[in-house]
Amino acid sequence: MSLLNKGGDGIHPVIRSPQNFVAGAFLIVAAAFVVWMLSGLSQGTLRTMGPAMVPRWTAVGIGLGGAVLVVLSFLKEGEALERWHLRGPIFVLASLVIFAATIRSVGFLVAAPLSMLTAGFGSREVRPLELVIFTVAMTVFCAVVFRVLLNQPLPMLVLPALSIQF
Amino acid sequence: MDFLQNLVHGVGVALSPVNVLLCFAGCMLGTLIGVLPGIGPIATIAILLPLTFGLDPTAALIMLAGIYYGAQYGGSTASILLNIPGESSAVVTALDGHEMARQGRAGAALGISAIGSFVAGTIATVVIAALASPLASLALVFGPAEYFALMLTGLAFAVLLARGSVFKAIIMILIGILLSTIGPDLTTGQLRLTFGAVWLADGIEIALLGMGLFGIAEVFRSLEHGEARQVRQTRIGSLLPSREELRASARPILRGTLLGSILGILPGNGAVLAPYASYTLEKKLARQPGRFGRGAIEGVAGPESANNAGAQTSFIPLLTLGIPPNAVMALMVGAMTIHGIVPGPQIMTKMPDLFWGLIASMWMGNLMLLIINLPLVGLWVKLLNVPYRLMFVGIVIFCCIGVYSINSEPADILIMAALAVFGYALSKFNFEPAPLTLGFVLGRMMEENLRQALMISRGSFLTFVERPIAAFFIVLAIVMLAVGILPSIRRGRDEVFVD
Repeated sequence: MSLLNKGGDGIHPVIRSPQNFVAGAFLIVAAAFVVWMLSGLSQGTLRTMGPAMVPRWTAVGIGLGGAVLVVLSFLKEGEALERWHLRGPIFVLASLVIFAATIRSVGFLVAAPLSMLTAGFGSREVRPLELVIFTVAMTVFCAVVFRVLLNQPLPMLVLPALSIQF
Repeated sequence: MDFLQNLVHGVGVALSPVNVLLCFAGCMLGTLIGVLPGIGPIATIAILLPLTFGLDPTAALIMLAGIYYGAQYGGSTASILLNIPGESSAVVTALDGHEMARQGRAGAALGISAIGSFVAGTIATVVIAALASPLASLALVFGPAEYFALMLTGLAFAVLLARGSVFKAIIMILIGILLSTIGPDLTTGQLRLTFGAVWLADGIEIALLGMGLFGIAEVFRSLEHGEARQVRQTRIGSLLPSREELRASARPILRGTLLGSILGILPGNGAVLAPYASYTLEKKLARQPGRFGRGAIEGVAGPESANNAGAQTSFIPLLTLGIPPNAVMALMVGAMTIHGIVPGPQIMTKMPDLFWGLIASMWMGNLMLLIINLPLVGLWVKLLNVPYRLMFVGIVIFCCIGVYSINSEPADILIMAALAVFGYALSKFNFEPAPLTLGFVLGRMMEENLRQALMISRGSFLTFVERPIAAFFIVLAIVMLAVGILPSIRRGRDEVFVD
């Protein structure tokens, strides 16, 4: 990253397009990783293509594209890196993980409120009381609509101790 | 006039009470989710797709068609009332539609968009019915080489349509193709790129991609701004456009329908071009082009009709050639595959009930929107008044339910989360997700067709030049890429939005 900062300060920055530089570098690394992952699979010949042929050459193409972006970032003026706002993604991701972890083990009636309460804090304007009311209402609404009316395979409440499962 | 007879048969299928009810339910739910800001048709259909799993194939597709049109209409409603277009094609509607809403003519804008969509839908339905048989017989002369070349053309077209850098669009397509290769190799069954994980062994569902890249990632982006958006508190006004407005809209609706019908047939998501093309055309033809952007009803009527016509005719490549031209159609393929239907030319002959029932139900979906959904606009407005700090929580939980209902697999939710982070990163680096989606949609089919084509030609790439139809598509693809690189054309395309 120091290279980037140096680039940003100078009058003649080394990297003229930080956005392209980072994107290109990432693509090269990702492509190399994919090629490495495919190393155990055979590529076959053009006449009888193996499972690795298309993914490997696609990855090579992506890597080359990344290389071009990196080269371009030294030559052409481009945009600076954009700021990432982490609050929203962090809370929403946490809520997704919570939902994934609890939907099967305890069921929707617990998973949904937990994940919604977590997600809600992703907004800077969160109002806890309002969020709680909304969460309860949404849980009931979704349970009725998706499970009762639409008959979706959502486990509602799983309590092995009381051998409840519906 | 064989196809008219078939169409009547289709209406008979679609009009059974159960199917009407399902179409209606689909429309309602589609609008309900589609109206949420930032949620376009792709995410909406992805969320609601599991609802159709338990139905019989014809009913499932009819309900999906309802969801599709509901989603489209919900998107227009959101862009007219909130100026938050859920997808790129609704951007054009927002230009004049939102301006009309600010002048207190939201009702007329919503009304004309529903009427225009209905007219466009009616005409496009007839177009599909008329073109389906000839195109399906064309498909019989297509071998793997032709299919591969045609899909290549579609991808080239998607590059041409992408906003921003052509080079980045090509990279996006490659990434899409790479993502599509995750999972078993179709010929040898060997697993690729799965990290040895069971939950990746079947590859990534297109629905996950839709919800991650177009649903949750959009939530991330919207959370940056906080409660900046303003809900239109002004009155909606009469839903029926005045006689004058109707007269002004009649021609734009017909022109938009024509444009949309033609562009929608092209592989590579030509439908997205339709609203832009229609808007530009109407602006060029108008006596006072200055009115556009200031609440001109033609600027809503034309693009909305074009959008709907294009959305409808984009079923043609899917139903006749089996090639999904965009992500929405790929979701339809997903739904069909679950019911054991392989989309392609054989559907029409083997399952006439399903084929013509689906086509007729498209028209019914449009009619539903007009007579049932439009009067409910007050409800959607109320929904839009829910502050975003709560709305996004609802979007997140809908996505969770949608993902979980597909396979009852919690790990799928984590895949969606990863795709969402990826989608957010894409926007931070100015990459567009649309070409990626198309690469993903076509990736597997392209690999299979390439493999078969090369097997037949004994490994010689010359097969793509020696076969005239394939050669034609390859040349077309090269021409489109060349056009995309020419700067003057790119500039002209961006001009639509200036002033």
